Amino acid sequence: MKSLKKEMPLHIMLIPGVIVTLIYAYGPMVGLVMAFQQFEPLSGFFKSDFVGWDNFNYVFHLPDFKQVLWNTLIIAISKMVLSLLVPLILALLLNELTKKWFAGFIQSAIFLPFFLSWTVLGGVIIELFSLSGPINGLIASMGFEPIMFMLDNSWFRGIIIGSDVWKGMGYNMIIMLAAITGINATLYEAAEVDGAGKWKQMLHITLPGISPIIILLAVLGLGGILNAGFEQILMMYNPTVYEGADIIDTFVYRLGMFSQQFGPAAAVGLFKSVISLFMVSVTYYAAYKFNNYRIF
Amino acid sequence: MRKIRPWKMMLAVTMIMSLLSACGGPAKEAGAPSAPKGNTENNSAAGETAPDPLGKYPETVVVTEVLGYNPPEDPRTPSGITPDQNAYLRDLKEMMNIEVKYKWTVPSAQYEQKFSLAMASGDLPDVIEVDQKNYEKLKKQGMLADLTEAYAIYASPDLKSYMESDGGFAMKRFSEDGKQLGIPAFEDPFLSTQILWIRQDWLKNLGLEAPKTMDELEKVALAFTNNDPDQNGKNDTYGLALQKNLFFWGFDVRGFFNGFGAYPSVGDNQSAWIKGSDGKLIPGLIQPEVKTGLGKLQQWYKDGIIDKEFALKDENKAVEDLISGKVGISYGEWWYPNWPLNSSVDKDPKADWIAIQLPGVDGPAKSLVPKIRSNKIFVVNKKAKNPEAAVKMLNFYIEVGKKEFKDKNRAEEGYVYNWFNPRIANPVDIDTIYMEVNKALDANQTEIDINDANYKTVADTFKATQDYLANDTSNATKGINWGLYYSRAAKDGGWGLTKKIKETDQFVYNEYYGLPTPTIVEKGGQLDKLMQESFTKIIMGASLDEFDKFVDSWNALGGKQIIDEVNEWYNTEAEK
Repeated sequence: MKSLKKEMPLHIMLIPGVIVTLIYAYGPMVGLVMAFQQFEPLSGFFKSDFVGWDNFNYVFHLPDFKQVLWNTLIIAISKMVLSLLVPLILALLLNELTKKWFAGFIQSAIFLPFFLSWTVLGGVIIELFSLSGPINGLIASMGFEPIMFMLDNSWFRGIIIGSDVWKGMGYNMIIMLAAITGINATLYEAAEVDGAGKWKQMLHITLPGISPIIILLAVLGLGGILNAGFEQILMMYNPTVYEGADIIDTFVYRLGMFSQQFGPAAAVGLFKSVISLFMVSVTYYAAYKFNNYRIF
Repeated sequence: MRKIRPWKMMLAVTMIMSLLSACGGPAKEAGAPSAPKGNTENNSAAGETAPDPLGKYPETVVVTEVLGYNPPEDPRTPSGITPDQNAYLRDLKEMMNIEVKYKWTVPSAQYEQKFSLAMASGDLPDVIEVDQKNYEKLKKQGMLADLTEAYAIYASPDLKSYMESDGGFAMKRFSEDGKQLGIPAFEDPFLSTQILWIRQDWLKNLGLEAPKTMDELEKVALAFTNNDPDQNGKNDTYGLALQKNLFFWGFDVRGFFNGFGAYPSVGDNQSAWIKGSDGKLIPGLIQPEVKTGLGKLQQWYKDGIIDKEFALKDENKAVEDLISGKVGISYGEWWYPNWPLNSSVDKDPKADWIAIQLPGVDGPAKSLVPKIRSNKIFVVNKKAKNPEAAVKMLNFYIEVGKKEFKDKNRAEEGYVYNWFNPRIANPVDIDTIYMEVNKALDANQTEIDINDANYKTVADTFKATQDYLANDTSNATKGINWGLYYSRAAKDGGWGLTKKIKETDQFVYNEYYGLPTPTIVEKGGQLDKLMQESFTKIIMGASLDEFDKFVDSWNALGGKQIIDEVNEWYNTEAEK
């Protein structure tokens, strides 16, 4: 009782956040009924006819659905793994830099693309990789045949994944750097006394020290297992690379926006959310079981 | 003596006037309700006396709209102007006391998406421009106001004459159970005819003739690609303009396929339907002639006649190439000189674009033409307070086309006609211009002698024509003058050639003009993706046999059902 009284101001401070969450995160969930309706926009949720699982049946039996799901998984998982690995390596390397101003500069330079929107970057990347762009200029100057990166299925997926990792890597890197700074410096001193080199220090002090953060980032990332980056792909794809780059979101976008089939589009959205919830729960449980680590 | 209260008097007058005007309409409208209750109440409350089609409301009436806008067509328009600064809106307020409020405005490329969202949330404005698909949707939801009375009472004689120019066919198409639910803007379907635009100066530089057959066209296109047609000493040109949508509204290859007797699409990614030998409708998209055409495009792609990265280009990129003199051939409609070719002429005064009939396998080919051209219907939200305001706004736009407004309403002053809605042009507008301007030219007149609602458009074209022929650039650049002249008035220009195609029967009708059938709605997106993917890949070098696979998949994924549905429509509803 006493503690509740003491914590009262904190609870009050929570209220606005909770209200916003209720309105913007829980409120729209009412819209999920669309997934089970033959949704007519102007009749709304209450007057549209319920059709049970028809929308799900329809979507899962569309001929492209398997391909699209497969593309989504490949792209999303590659992005997820790489955007943990690359920032981790960068953070470890940056941590070893002794000149502080130089480390700061590199850090900012790596972080910068994070703030650009895909609407801008998409156009830039298309130009960079076009036949008359600088990358093909380089290839030609070395005497090779130019490559149509953006029109070739074997390249396009790589470009999607690579550019996304490049754009986002600064964010995770900074989180990891912060975690590294939090490691007790006496541990390193002790290790040095015991004769551990830089490599051993990294393996036995730095990595275990930041493993909770890595797990946290992985768990948070896993929720997005079916998010392969809608905006990015929408800005960059074209009919020739549908085969390798059409993902669930672009698929739903065309379904909902151009064919105005809101019911099936909502069904796919719900499907995605359920998978995400499942993945988050599994990793959460696994992290607890194997590492005795709880996020919440 | 008993006084008659003023408002009763007004009510009576209003009722009598509305009776008169209702009966004053053409005979077939005599059946319109004679005591338009809603309107009289409105008017009497507002204290107005008679329903004048152009009258001013005593109190400001606010009409909400939404707008998807293109950049102003006229380069003289003040830069930075926004749709709500359009001078037409100011005049509308002054003349009729109607104030237009935009709920939102977006560039037209985003309109479809934004409007879908607005429909999904039920947040619709008072006066709405819809296409056929959304018209049916709103109709089904009972969202549309009945415009029968408003039209009967308020439509100006000009508006009525437009609507009757096709015998009332279009109006009937958008009424239900005697209720007029929408007012269609419709046009001469031949406006959609594709012809071929080609650089005459490049032909001359290379000593070539304008092509009549596909083989000749290929020779020309190859020469345009390899033989430095602009004589600048650089290998920086290519043959045919193309962007990623193969069947679009311009810079596409609809006309190319017509050259092979193939009719895959009417544009905007819609399939074309032609009459088969057994009298049934067949989808042009899957006929063997399309395969022949794709084979040729594949070869052209290999030869560099088509940009290697066309699949990454949108229409703006294709237009850039046309304007900057990188490409010399494009399939397109009559309006090309008006945009973007006028800019090409302004950039390079030597640029001399001509229009020719589509080259075919042996001699000129037939173009595909739709049966009706009306994908713009003005409807009024049932919740709108003043449905008649929409009709009055239509009257307004027609009225300001008359002579007395012409000198005032210039682009420099911020008049942007293509932002004003609702806007209905004379359905036979283009032909009126062509005939009147040529009549005046042939008689060596210095002024045109009409003064009806067509005055502005005819006079604009006539002025530009005179300036162009006299090489006078004091009013507008050479490109602008030429653009107006060569699209609308020149006998061998955009409309001149189209008219000849129409009169000499050099066309094939797209027979289907109904709404998308249920299977098209359900599977259309899927089939379209399949088509885009297969065709683009074939052009870029995939095996031609992919086309046969495409046809099989198309049939299996719903195409067969669509064929049945379309023929069902053809047997029951089509006017043959």
